[in-house]
Amino acid sequence: MITEEITLMKYLKIENNKGFFYKEVEQSFVWTEIDKINKDDLFNLLNKAISEGFEMDEFDEKLMGHKAHQIIYKSLYEKFADLLLNKARFHDESAGLYNDALNKYSV
Amino acid sequence: MKKIDLHLHTVQSITDYSFEFSLEKLKEYVDKLEIDCIAITNHNLFDLQQFEEIVRHLSHIKVLPGIEIDLEGGHLLLISENYELIDFEFRCNQIKELISTKNDTISVEKMRTIFTDLDKYLLIPHYDKQPVIREETLSKLYPHIICGEVSSIVKFKSCWSDKTKLTPVIFSDARISKDLHEFPVKQTFIEIDQITLPGIKSCLFDRSKVSLSREDGNELFLATNDGLYLSTGLNIILGERSSGKSHTLNKICDTFENVKYIKQFSLLQDGEENFKKMLSTRNSTVTEEFLLEFKHVVSDISSIDIKQHKLDIEKYLETLIKFALESDKQDAFAKASLFNEVPFSDAELGGLQRIIDATILLIENEQYKAIIENNISIINLKALACELIKEYQKAYNSNLQMRWLNQLISTVQLGLRSKTSATFPEDINFYSIVLENEKVKRFGQIVKGLQTEKEISRKDLRGFQLVVNTRKFANATQLKTVSGGKLPFSDAFSTYDVPYRFLNTLKQIAIPETDHYKYFVNIEYKILNKYNTPVSGGERSEFNLLHEINDALKHDLLLIDEPESSFDNLFLKNEVNELIKDISQKIPVIIVTHNSTVGASIKPNYLVYTQKIITNNIANYKIFAGYPANKTLKSLEGELIDNFNVLISCLEAGKEAYDNRRNNTYEILENRK
Repeated sequence: MITEEITLMKYLKIENNKGFFYKEVEQSFVWTEIDKINKDDLFNLLNKAISEGFEMDEFDEKLMGHKAHQIIYKSLYEKFADLLLNKARFHDESAGLYNDALNKYSV
Repeated sequence: MKKIDLHLHTVQSITDYSFEFSLEKLKEYVDKLEIDCIAITNHNLFDLQQFEEIVRHLSHIKVLPGIEIDLEGGHLLLISENYELIDFEFRCNQIKELISTKNDTISVEKMRTIFTDLDKYLLIPHYDKQPVIREETLSKLYPHIICGEVSSIVKFKSCWSDKTKLTPVIFSDARISKDLHEFPVKQTFIEIDQITLPGIKSCLFDRSKVSLSREDGNELFLATNDGLYLSTGLNIILGERSSGKSHTLNKICDTFENVKYIKQFSLLQDGEENFKKMLSTRNSTVTEEFLLEFKHVVSDISSIDIKQHKLDIEKYLETLIKFALESDKQDAFAKASLFNEVPFSDAELGGLQRIIDATILLIENEQYKAIIENNISIINLKALACELIKEYQKAYNSNLQMRWLNQLISTVQLGLRSKTSATFPEDINFYSIVLENEKVKRFGQIVKGLQTEKEISRKDLRGFQLVVNTRKFANATQLKTVSGGKLPFSDAFSTYDVPYRFLNTLKQIAIPETDHYKYFVNIEYKILNKYNTPVSGGERSEFNLLHEINDALKHDLLLIDEPESSFDNLFLKNEVNELIKDISQKIPVIIVTHNSTVGASIKPNYLVYTQKIITNNIANYKIFAGYPANKTLKSLEGELIDNFNVLISCLEAGKEAYDNRRNNTYEILENRK
């Protein structure tokens, strides 16, 4: 594991032929190998993707010698890319969510 | 003046309930109610043989042949002169042929091919009576429509005084069966000497020749079938105990439909909790309106399963990682690119559709056209709409292509997966997960606002105020009260502060899912008096009376039996009298009272006095009636009684007691000042 300060907005990266994701551990972040990702990590990444400037290294097969990492990274990369592509739509849609109710019942 | 009832049924039709016609009853009806002219108007048929028999037996009055036709969704009476009956029967039989089920109806055009010369008939549409003939149909029948049938005294008066409306007529619409016990009292008077169809038509052209009573125009109406006329305004019924006052009131109640009857003692309140419950039920529309948007939110949130999201993510990762780790050992099928290809996702077009709609709204708006054109030219708006629509079509087509491709990919994947034992990664939709999470977050914000203590409505009702507040439920017992049953809510209440969890625990309880929204906020109703403090027991009864009287406007008649049984005189004088007077301008009001505050100070339009006379141990009931300014009241049999004596004996316990109270009690009190 490689530890870094919380300064980057990048959450998925490729380095040394492997894929990594940025994991929050006790209020600091650590780059963690992609095949160690669990459901809570993914859930947190989803929240970051829609609420922050989420960046990730573009998937490049040639830069990833590790076959298993390649498959996992590719799948996650495509999923997040699709989500980021729809980020404007998400913000439009969520801005209008239950607006009538929010306006009516807000204090 | 002649009394007419041109809407009577003597044959059971497909739209009627079962009844057996009785000629004897018909005879009894026209004799007892002193009717001068009737019309036989069965649904979509004319029975010539029966009609001729009726005419033979009712030779002392005029009997007209008619038919009630199902016309373009409403009902129309078509009445003929009583000759050329074979011809009339022939035409009516054609209607009968056309209407063979309850849902059949004919068009005006069709009716005109059957009754070719409408001038020969009197046409009376259901006007303010169900099923009503629509304006569109009426205009097609112009100029043959001169009057319209209404269903109540109130509607008759309202139509009569509005010159833009047709002349109203009110008829019994009765089924004359042998089981008919209470004869109807809905008939119309017309100013005519000799009854002929053209004569009736000529009267109906002029509303001043049409009325509810023989001599008093529309001031009086027939209230009971034994001949008691009452004012279409305010009536007071006086009389000793057990003299038949309540009996008269009950009889009036049974004679009419849509009556508001406030019975004696019915407004006394038995406790604060019951009062609150009653308020909550009575004002349920306030609750429903307030919670309407929240109800939609709860319904949407109910379908979200956050737990399932986590399971889906887990399954996705587990299968993805397994697939990745097995990659070295994969066979040709698993190595195919399409084996773990993810499907394309649809572009969401709702937002674009809304922008297109808004642009079209701007283009088409007439009311603010000038302001819109001052800022954006319509040409530019049209160009914008075209461009947006093109974009929509492009995205729509692209979605169609992607769906087609997804189907293809899915078919290939199924084929590949059936040939290999390799794990295949489950698919997952990140977008719907984040959106649904956002919905749950918003739901939490909405509930927080909803549960904040605040006043949501305040209505004034004659010195009282109905105040509606929201607050959080304080305990499980209050939740139980909402359910109205004995269901356990303690587990649910422990999650009350976490709305999404609370909603999920409600799902474990046997309450309808459509009611879940009611358990998030406590909506409390309370009535405050004029000092802005909660009402006492007596005031609760007063509030009830005011509410009931206000509610009476939805009815055609208001009956009140002894309001003094529940209230003090000051309240009756100040609030009730004024309100009752107001309401009697709109609907007939009939009050039974012993109380001088109500009886005399309210200044009624008409007085009724009931009397019980026992002769040889047999009780004989009499009813006298008349205007308050009359020196005498007149019985149904024609006897006269002194009006002043009636008032003094009924309201002041006799002249002696009245003089004594006035001279001694009140004056002594007054001199003390």
